[in-house]
Amino acid sequence: MSLLEIKNVSINYHTNDKTVYAVQDVSMNVDEQDSVGIVGESGSGKSTLAMGILRLLPENIIETSGEALLEGEDILAMDTKHLQEVRWMKMSVVFQKSMNALSPVHRIGYQMEDIYRVHYPNEDKKVIQDKIYSLLKMVNLPERVYMSYPHELSGGMMQRVAIALSLIFEPKLLIMDEATTALDVVTQTQILNEIIDLEKNMNIARIMITHDMSVVASTCKKVVVMYAGRIMEQGLVNDVLVNPQHPYTKGLMSSFPSFTGERKNLKGIEGNLPDMSIYPTGCVFAPRCPFATERCHKEIPQLKKYGDNWEVACFQSGGTSNE
Amino acid sequence: MRKYILKRLGSGALVVLFSVLFNFVIIRLAPGDPTRLLAGKDNPSPETIAALRERFGLDKPLLEQFWIYFKQLLHGDFGYSYVSSLTVWELIRSRIVPTLLIAFTGAFLGLLIGTALGIIAARKKGSKFDMFMCSISYFFDSTPSFWLGLMMILLFASILKWFPTYGMYNVRQNYTGMAHVLDVAYHMVLPVTTLVLIDIPYYFRIARSSILQTMSEDFIMTLRATGMSEQKIFFKYVMRNAIIPTVTVFGITLAYMITGVAMIEIVFAWPGMGRLMLDSITKRDYPTLSAIYLLLSISVAVMTIVVDVVYAWIDPRIRIE
Amino acid sequence: MKKKRKIDPAKILNVIKNNTQLKIGLIFLVILLFIAFFGPLFAPYNPYRLNDDTLMAPCAKYPLGTDNLGHDILSQILYGCSTSLKIGFIAAMISAIIGVTLGGIAGFYGGWIDQVLNEIMNVFLMLPDFFLILLIIATFGSSMMNVMIVIGLTSWVGNARLMRAQAKAIRERTFIQSSFAMGESKFSILVRHVLPNGIFPIIANTTMNISGAILTEAGLSFLGLGDPNVISWGQIITAGKSYLPKCWWICTFPGLMTIFTVLTFFLLGEGLNRVLSPKMDANK
Repeated sequence: MSLLEIKNVSINYHTNDKTVYAVQDVSMNVDEQDSVGIVGESGSGKSTLAMGILRLLPENIIETSGEALLEGEDILAMDTKHLQEVRWMKMSVVFQKSMNALSPVHRIGYQMEDIYRVHYPNEDKKVIQDKIYSLLKMVNLPERVYMSYPHELSGGMMQRVAIALSLIFEPKLLIMDEATTALDVVTQTQILNEIIDLEKNMNIARIMITHDMSVVASTCKKVVVMYAGRIMEQGLVNDVLVNPQHPYTKGLMSSFPSFTGERKNLKGIEGNLPDMSIYPTGCVFAPRCPFATERCHKEIPQLKKYGDNWEVACFQSGGTSNE
Repeated sequence: MRKYILKRLGSGALVVLFSVLFNFVIIRLAPGDPTRLLAGKDNPSPETIAALRERFGLDKPLLEQFWIYFKQLLHGDFGYSYVSSLTVWELIRSRIVPTLLIAFTGAFLGLLIGTALGIIAARKKGSKFDMFMCSISYFFDSTPSFWLGLMMILLFASILKWFPTYGMYNVRQNYTGMAHVLDVAYHMVLPVTTLVLIDIPYYFRIARSSILQTMSEDFIMTLRATGMSEQKIFFKYVMRNAIIPTVTVFGITLAYMITGVAMIEIVFAWPGMGRLMLDSITKRDYPTLSAIYLLLSISVAVMTIVVDVVYAWIDPRIRIE
Repeated sequence: MKKKRKIDPAKILNVIKNNTQLKIGLIFLVILLFIAFFGPLFAPYNPYRLNDDTLMAPCAKYPLGTDNLGHDILSQILYGCSTSLKIGFIAAMISAIIGVTLGGIAGFYGGWIDQVLNEIMNVFLMLPDFFLILLIIATFGSSMMNVMIVIGLTSWVGNARLMRAQAKAIRERTFIQSSFAMGESKFSILVRHVLPNGIFPIIANTTMNISGAILTEAGLSFLGLGDPNVISWGQIITAGKSYLPKCWWICTFPGLMTIFTVLTFFLLGEGLNRVLSPKMDANK
């Protein structure tokens, strides 16, 4: 059984006069100790998907369908009480703006202690403090951080605090939403390496949401490529990023410098994201796709098996149907 | 922190110095002979003029005059009221307690009620209650306090006859002890209510908008993701963050409350500073007016410093500078 | 390099439609301006005329009653509208001009000029302004001109601080930096680029200041410091105070008109703030 099984999840936002189809019919699996990168441009729905699975979207304006099974339990259907029990114990998250990840007017140690008590209200103060100090040490932070306020730390340090906090209950699943995007390259690499070590020791599966292909290439086993709320292609990093099948993935790959150091011209993808409040009639990428045919504009391509653990949603790619 | 406080003290001192300077300049720039203004009548007697020239050193160069004036103030010497022949200081002292009584009561009630309403409105953002409170707060913001006071008298004192029209106690009865306290409290109801109604919109809006602001911060999302209950997030984290602007505004309001209360005191014939102010204006009792102004400046300067220090204490982000 | 702002009437109309405060504020403003310009034409009496009927309750002859001297209240209110608006507009304009100039210079030039001006702003912010106004009016006399000037001179700090922040931010923008590089003089950049681009928050704040000025004038009138030569709502209320509770109409109607006027500019200011201010508004 997969640790997290996402089945046909769609998320729509309702604003004043329109509906935004932010995530459409997304299915994917995350196994124990897996590491999955979800990539796509901003607005591709990758963050919405993560927030949706965490149930952190404003529930009065969104509409969710599908299932997200965490160890067999559907998060999307949980009642508030059970959800609060599961949160942080089984899955935790690190956000992009870690500078604002904690309350600016409370000391960091105090907040971590308070969060610990959410799930173990009667734990001895000494035990909690020891735990927090050991966590800080694990992410290479000095002890003084315990008594510091968020603004007294640098961006990189706060990112480490956020990571330490996310590991406090040794969850099964860690979601990192653009967690290292705002950092400089050196700090980013250091932190990523630390995380990989930590999750090996703690048996943690990780979902990494990013628009940075190189981060996915260097830290993830699997990759999910999203565009305009849909999955275009998913599979092992070694397959998908080396030999991309979907025209969009190809386009993305050629917008980044090659990993092998080969000098090639960088190309972007022509055009812009489609208007997400209009429900598409065909492939969402068709308007920007150089290979689009008439069929692409009329029919929505489903994900098809291309190889082992490899799926592509494109009429052009030769593959066997899932059905 | 020490440097921060010192800097604040410097600004406060500068404010007081400016006020003294304004006082000095205004009277000398005023049309006509300053002795006439200082004496408070059009044809002061030669003795009065001589006394004034002596006291203010009016024959001496301007800079020396300023120095004389400043020295007198430093000694706490605000001069005599030419109308009542009491020292200005005595006059003010007899009026300050009633003023502080309604000003503090009003400010605290306004703070409590306004903030509470703001919290409720923020929690039910977009609800009927929220919309109603938002619109009515505009209305009370636009209402001159003295007019509201007059309307309160009209409705609750004259038509409904629930409360007395004016004064601080019943002059016909010589109440003592508890009866006196209750009598004063009874007389306080209308002026304090007026003050509270005028104050509520400020605290309401500040509480509401700072709570909404805090609720949209990223750390709220983190806390939610940890499984913390909404109740705890709100009362422990949102409130602690959102209270900062309210505290600041409350401090500033306290500083200005004497002017705020003055109008309402006049309407309700409350024997406080406002009444003294009005009397001094109508009788052109310049020394008294200028003393009230200086006192006000000092209290504003002091309060601002206190607020800044409290602010630094409740908001750790301020302390680094 | 200058950034042209295209004005599209359809867009503006749309903005107004979606902004309740602005919508109501504009409707109220039209009513007020109408009263100010044409009100006197509809006044049933000369507002200065002492009618024989004193302290008359509202009736067919005097729709809003008369005061102790026999002035017709309705006529006085209609004539008083322009007084309030004039004081509000001019005082707010004075405060805007001072604020924009000082704030612009402080934010744009920076350095010691900024430090000195900023300290002055802090001091002015802390001065008890209403009492200062009162003191000056009490000494210098209560002509309408004095009232307007003094209110303007004491209420500019808010504008100056806004403008200072704007100038600081705009200074760093690329198009200003390139103007520097092209050798345009500092003063010319300030006047031609920084001020026009940073003026929007000031417009909203100035609209609010109109409200403040009108309330201040009403307060001064109530203390007997209004201009005795003009008709103002504050003065009608003051005059009527002594005849409460029996003659309630003297105070009530001018007070309601004051609220209406102040409310108009509050709403306009709030509405403009939402449209013009670059900050996202948490209230929305």
